[in-house]
Amino acid sequence: MSREAYQVPAGLGGNQNAFGGADSMGAGGAGSLDGPVVAYLCGECNSRVSLKRGDQIRCKECGHRVLYKERTKRMVQFEAR
Amino acid sequence: MAPSATDTDWSVNYDVLKREKLFRNPPTDHTAYPALAASIRPHVDSFNALFDGPKTLEEALKDIGTKTFLDGDVETSEQKKVRIAEGRKAPRRNRLNVRISEVFLEKPALPPTNKFATRNRNIYPSECRERHATYRGKLRARIEWQVNNGDWMESVRELGQVPIMLRTNRCHLEKATPHELVEHKEESEELGGYFIVNGNEKLIRMLVVGKRNYPMAIVRGSFVKRGHTYTKYGIQIRSVRPDQTSQTNSLHYLTDGNLTFRFSWRKNEYLIPVMMILKALVETNDREIFEGIVGNASSEGIKNTFITDRVELLLRTYKAYNKHSRSACRSYLGEKFKPVLGVAADMSNEDAGTEFLRKVVLPHLGCHNVTETQDYDKFKMLLFMIRKLYALVAGDCAPDNPDAVSNQEILLGGFLYGMLLKERLEEWVRSFSPILRDWSNRNSGAKFTDSAFERDFLSKIVKRSNENIGGALEYFLSTGNLVSPTGLDLQQASGYTVMAEKINFYRFISHFRMIHRGSFFAQLKTTTVRKLLPESWGFFCPVHTPDGAPCGLLNHLAHKCLIATSDVDVSKVPKALVQLGVRSESSVSVEENVTVQLDGRIIGYCSPKQAGAIANTLRRWKVAGDDRIPLELEIGYVPNSTGGQYPGIYMFSQAARMFRPVKYLPLGKLDYVGPFEQPFMEIACMPNDLISGVSTHIEFTPTNMLSIVANMTPFSDQNQSPRNMYQCQMSKQTMGTPGTAIDYRTDNKLYRLQTGQTPIVRSPLYNAYGLDNFPNGTNAIVAIISYTGYDMDDAMIINKSSHERGFGHGTIYKTKVHGLDENDSRRGKSRREITKLFGFAPGDQIKAEWRATLDEDGLPHIGARVKEGSYVAAWHNVRYDAATDSYVNVDGVTHFVKYKDAEEGYIDSVRILGAESGVEPCQSISVKYRIPRKPIIGDKFSSRHGQKGVCSQLWPAVDMPFSESGIQPDLIINPHAFPSRMTIAQMVESMAGKAGALHGHPQDSTPFQFSEENTAVDYFGHQLRKAGYNYFGNEPLYSGITGKEFAADIFIGVVHYQRLRHMVNDKFQVRTTGPVNNLTGQPVKGRAKGGGIRVGEMERDSLIAHGAAFLLQDRLMNCSDSTRSWICRDCGSFLSTQVVASSAGSSKARIAAAKAASNQSSSGGPSGPSGMSGLVRCRRCAREAVFDDSRAVVWEDGDGRRYVGGDNVTVVAVPGVLRYLDVELAAMGIRMKFWVDN
Repeated sequence: MSREAYQVPAGLGGNQNAFGGADSMGAGGAGSLDGPVVAYLCGECNSRVSLKRGDQIRCKECGHRVLYKERTKRMVQFEAR
Repeated sequence: MAPSATDTDWSVNYDVLKREKLFRNPPTDHTAYPALAASIRPHVDSFNALFDGPKTLEEALKDIGTKTFLDGDVETSEQKKVRIAEGRKAPRRNRLNVRISEVFLEKPALPPTNKFATRNRNIYPSECRERHATYRGKLRARIEWQVNNGDWMESVRELGQVPIMLRTNRCHLEKATPHELVEHKEESEELGGYFIVNGNEKLIRMLVVGKRNYPMAIVRGSFVKRGHTYTKYGIQIRSVRPDQTSQTNSLHYLTDGNLTFRFSWRKNEYLIPVMMILKALVETNDREIFEGIVGNASSEGIKNTFITDRVELLLRTYKAYNKHSRSACRSYLGEKFKPVLGVAADMSNEDAGTEFLRKVVLPHLGCHNVTETQDYDKFKMLLFMIRKLYALVAGDCAPDNPDAVSNQEILLGGFLYGMLLKERLEEWVRSFSPILRDWSNRNSGAKFTDSAFERDFLSKIVKRSNENIGGALEYFLSTGNLVSPTGLDLQQASGYTVMAEKINFYRFISHFRMIHRGSFFAQLKTTTVRKLLPESWGFFCPVHTPDGAPCGLLNHLAHKCLIATSDVDVSKVPKALVQLGVRSESSVSVEENVTVQLDGRIIGYCSPKQAGAIANTLRRWKVAGDDRIPLELEIGYVPNSTGGQYPGIYMFSQAARMFRPVKYLPLGKLDYVGPFEQPFMEIACMPNDLISGVSTHIEFTPTNMLSIVANMTPFSDQNQSPRNMYQCQMSKQTMGTPGTAIDYRTDNKLYRLQTGQTPIVRSPLYNAYGLDNFPNGTNAIVAIISYTGYDMDDAMIINKSSHERGFGHGTIYKTKVHGLDENDSRRGKSRREITKLFGFAPGDQIKAEWRATLDEDGLPHIGARVKEGSYVAAWHNVRYDAATDSYVNVDGVTHFVKYKDAEEGYIDSVRILGAESGVEPCQSISVKYRIPRKPIIGDKFSSRHGQKGVCSQLWPAVDMPFSESGIQPDLIINPHAFPSRMTIAQMVESMAGKAGALHGHPQDSTPFQFSEENTAVDYFGHQLRKAGYNYFGNEPLYSGITGKEFAADIFIGVVHYQRLRHMVNDKFQVRTTGPVNNLTGQPVKGRAKGGGIRVGEMERDSLIAHGAAFLLQDRLMNCSDSTRSWICRDCGSFLSTQVVASSAGSSKARIAAAKAASNQSSSGGPSGPSGMSGLVRCRRCAREAVFDDSRAVVWEDGDGRRYVGGDNVTVVAVPGVLRYLDVELAAMGIRMKFWVDN
C-alpha cells in the first residue's frame, strides 16, 4: 500500500489529540481533569486495564502487577533507507 | 488414547518436524532434552537438599543446638573472693534456653497486605524479572525457649524474605513440564539453578575446596611461620559435618618431633598439643597411644626407631601439663576455650571441653550427641593422622597435591547457601544475649523468672534482634560478598556469585558447569595451581578454560561429570569389609598393614596384599549391583609404593564429590569413578588402548572428557589445541539466540541473531543438548582465497548480496528502568509520599513535537523511533490531596525523561511496574529498546575453530568470484589464516559442510572418529566426488571482475560462522574536539564520555622517530590543551601580565593607547584574549607613574593605580597545563622564566 492510500482506521483517527483517547474509552469527565484514560494489557491475563493518572498499578481482573503498553494504533512509518 | 511419551532420543539428524512439533506443542509430560536438564542438576539438587532428602538445614539446627543465657551480672573475681570469704553461696542465676526447632521456607507469594489478587497469589519468576524484583519466599523459624527447667514455649518468627533458586522445591516451577513453563512465560527448556535478585539472574558459582574427610599430607613453606620450631610438614583434614559446614583440623610437625593440633575458630587460629586432644577424647593411657601409633610389641612398627623416638618424645613432653585423665584434659580445654565457644557461663569446664571436642575436633565423626564410640573414632583418626605425618616427615610417603582434582571436591551453591543460612540463624540466637542484658538493665535488673519476661520476650527482646535474615542472603546473592563472623572455613570473602549472562545459550549453560578455584589463587604468583593435571581427566574439560587472567582457575566440568548432592547409603559397607578380613589391630609399618577408611572413619586395617583384593572385590560387588555397596561409592585404593601416596583404601560416599561414568570391563556394565580412585585405576580411553590383564575399565566415548561447549567444536581433534580453547571462548561471545521467551526478559542488554541456522556439521550431542532451540550462527559458503586485498590480516569480505539477504543480521535489546524517585526505588512508598507522576502535567499545553514519541499518557509509543535526546517519558510534580484522595499538580510544567544513547533505536515494549502491595501509582516504567545491528565494516565474525576476523568490505555480488555452477561465496577469507594456526578441522568442516549441503544430510563431526588410516578428508572427499565435485573440495573459480578463471583451483565449502558481539558501533572512539577536563583543558578519557585515546609516551616517541612533527603538534597541542596566553618578553612570566583597566586615563590617553596597540599588533603581536581595552601590560616590568609621565604612556590597573612601561608583552600558544604548572609553582614560591624569541 502506498503512503497516499493509507487510511486511518475509523474510530482511531480522533486518538491523535491528547484527550481524544479518553473520550473514546468512555471514561467521561474525570479523564479531562485527571488526565486521559489509557488502556494497558495485563501481563498475566491479557485483559485490557484502563488506567488514568495516579491510579494504582494492577490488573482489575487478576491483580497482576505488570502491565504492558499496547502497540500504538497510530501509523508508524519511517523513511526507509 | 493417551499421547505417547515425549521422545528423548536424539541423533545427529535435523529432525525438523520433530522439533517443530515440540515448539508448537511443548511437551506436557517431561522435557525432550534430559541431558540438558541433567547438566544443571548439581545446583538445583544441592538447594533441594536443604529441605528435602538429606534435610541439611535440619542437621544445621541440630548443630546450633540450644543456646543458654543467664540473667544477673557476671561476678567479678573480687566479688567472688568476698563472697567465699563470707561463706555465701553463689547467687543463683536464672537460665534461659533458646533453640530453633524448625525452619520453614515458603514459596514466593504476595504479601497478605495485598488484598487485590484474587485468583493466584503466587509470584512467578517471570514477574520478578519483569518487575526487576527478587524472587523470594518468606523464611520462618519456630523458636522454642524455656526458663530454668520450665515448660518449653514456642513461637514462629518471620525472618524476612529469602531469595529462592529457580526450579527447586521452593519454586513454583519445580516439576513444571515444558508446557507449563511456557504458560508461565519461561523458556520451554528453562533449567533453573539460579536466583533472581533485583531482576538479575544470579548464580552461586561452584568452588573447588579440599576433599572432605581425607587427611592430606602437605608440605608448605608458610607453615614455618606459624611459630618457633615449626616445620613445613603438616597434615590437614577438612572435616565436614552433616550440614555441609566444615572445620579444618591440621597437625604440625615441630623440629623436635613434637606435634601440635591447629584449628581456626571464628577467624582466629589456635594451637593445642595433640596429646591433650588424644587424652581428652577417650580415657586412655600412654601405652595405648604408643601402641596405637607404633603398633604392639610384636609388630614390625616397633622396629621403626624414627617413629618410636618421636612418639616417646610426644608422650614425655606432655608430662609437663600433668593432666592425665580424660576429665582433667577436658576441663583444661574447657577452661581455655569457654570464652570463644560461646557456651553458657555456668557450664562446667569439663562440659565445655566436651563441647569443644564436639564442635572442633574432627566433627565429621560425630558432631551432636557424641557417643563414646564416636570419640574413639576421632581418637583413631588422630592416631592415623599422626602416623601419616611421621611417614611424610620420614620421606616414606609423598605429600598430597592440593591442586589435583583427586584431592578436591566441589562446594555447591545450595550448600553454601545452607551454610550461610545456618550461620545467620545461629548469629540471630546469639544476638539475644546483649538484648537480654539491656532488657534486664532497663527494667532495673529484672529476672527471667519475672512475669514481665514472659510478656516481653517476644515483643521486646526477640523483636529487637535483627530478624532480617532474608536481607542478608539477598545481599550475599546480589554482591557475592560473604559477611561472616566464622569465615565458613573458606578462603575468600567475595566473588561467590556471578550474573548468569544470557548473551547466548552456550554462555548461559557454561555458567552452571563452571568451577572456580577460588579468587585467592588468582593473585598467586606461581602458576602451579593453573596447570592442567592428568588427574582431572574426565572431570574438568582440558579445553574449556579462558586464556588470560583466569586461565586454569576457571574450569568447566566435562559434560559427563556428575556431582553428588546427597550421601549414599553405606551402612552395610563396614560389615562387608569385616567379612573380607579387615581387622582392628595395626602398626605403623605400611608393609604390615594399611588402613581401610570410609568417609574419614577408620573401619580397620588389612595387609597390603589383602587391600588389593578387597578393593577388587568391592568394585565387582558394587558394579554387579550388590545392595550392600552402592554404585556411586568411590573406592580409592592406594597401593603400596616406595615414597608414593600413603597407601590404604579410602572410600567416599558423601555429597559434593565428582564422579563420572565409565564401563567396567569384567561385567561390561556401568561403573562410576571418582577423582580420588582414578589415578590408581586402569581406564582405557579407546579400544586400542586396552592392555589385557591390566585394564579394568574403558571410556564409553573419548568425548566424555570435553565440556558441553568444547564438544560443539567440529572435529576438534584435528585442530591445534589453543584454537579449540579460543573457540570455547568465542562461542560464548557469539551473538546468538538467548532464548525464545525474549519478550518476557528484561536483561540490560540482550543480543539476538536474526538469521540463525542449524549447523550442517555437528555432533549428535548438539541435538541431545537441544541447541537447535538456540541457534548460534549461519552456514556460509566460504572461499579461501586472497582476492581483493581486503582480506588481509584476518579480515574477511562479505558478499553484499548475502548481507542484504540477512547474513549475520542481529538485534540488541536494551532494557532501561525509568524511575521517578531519585533514591532507592525498591522501597515502597505510601500514597502521600509520592511527589511525581508520569504523564503530561494537566493544564500544560501539549506540544505536537512532544507527541512524536510520546502517547497521551506520557509514555512512549511502542514502535516509536528514538534518537539521542528523544523524549521517552513525561512526568510532572504532584502533591497528594487528602480531601479528594487524588494528586494535584500545581506548576503545570511537564518534565521529560530523555533517551541518552547515541544510537538510534525503537521502543520495543513498555512495562508499567506496580508494587507487590498493589496500591501504588506508577512510579517506574521499564522500557525495552530495540537496536537493529546489521553487520557493518568492522564487526567481528568467527568460524567455529578460533578463527576470528573482522568484516573489511561488503563486496558487491557482481564482483565476487563464482564457480562453474554459478555459486558465489558468502565470505572470503585469506589462506594465510591457516598455515600457522593449523586449524585443519575448519578445512574438514568446509568439505563436510559442502558434502552435507549437496546431499542434504547432516554431518557427524564428533572428534576422534577418524584416524590416520581412515581419514576425514577421504570420507568427505568421496561424498564430494559422488556429488560431482572435486574430491578435495577445490573448484575452479572465475574472477568476478575479469570473468577469467583463476590460475589455481580455490578451496570453497560450507562453514558455520558465528557473529561475535563485539561490534564497532560499541567500540569506535574518535574525536577532534569534545569534552575537556576542567582543570587542565585536556581531553577527558573514556569512550562513554566522548573522550579521546591517549597519545602516550611511546606513541610520541614513534612520531618523533618518524619526524612527523606536524602530526605531533596537532595531537599534543591543537587537539589538546593549546591556549593562547600573554607573556612578558622581558621577565618571561605568564603571571605578571594583566589587562589594563579600560577606564584608565582620559579620552586622549585612550587614543594614544589605541595607537600603541595598533603599533604592537603591526609589530607581530596578535591581539590576545584581553579585556575591553585590548591592552595588556606586564605589571612586574612596569613602574609606578609619576607626575611627569606623559598621559599617553600611563596605564591604570583595576584598583586605579597608575603605571608606566611593561609593554613588551606578547601572546604565545602554550599547553594549558604549562600555565597551570606555573601557577602551582608560584604558589610554592618558585618562579618560572621563559625566554621568548622573535
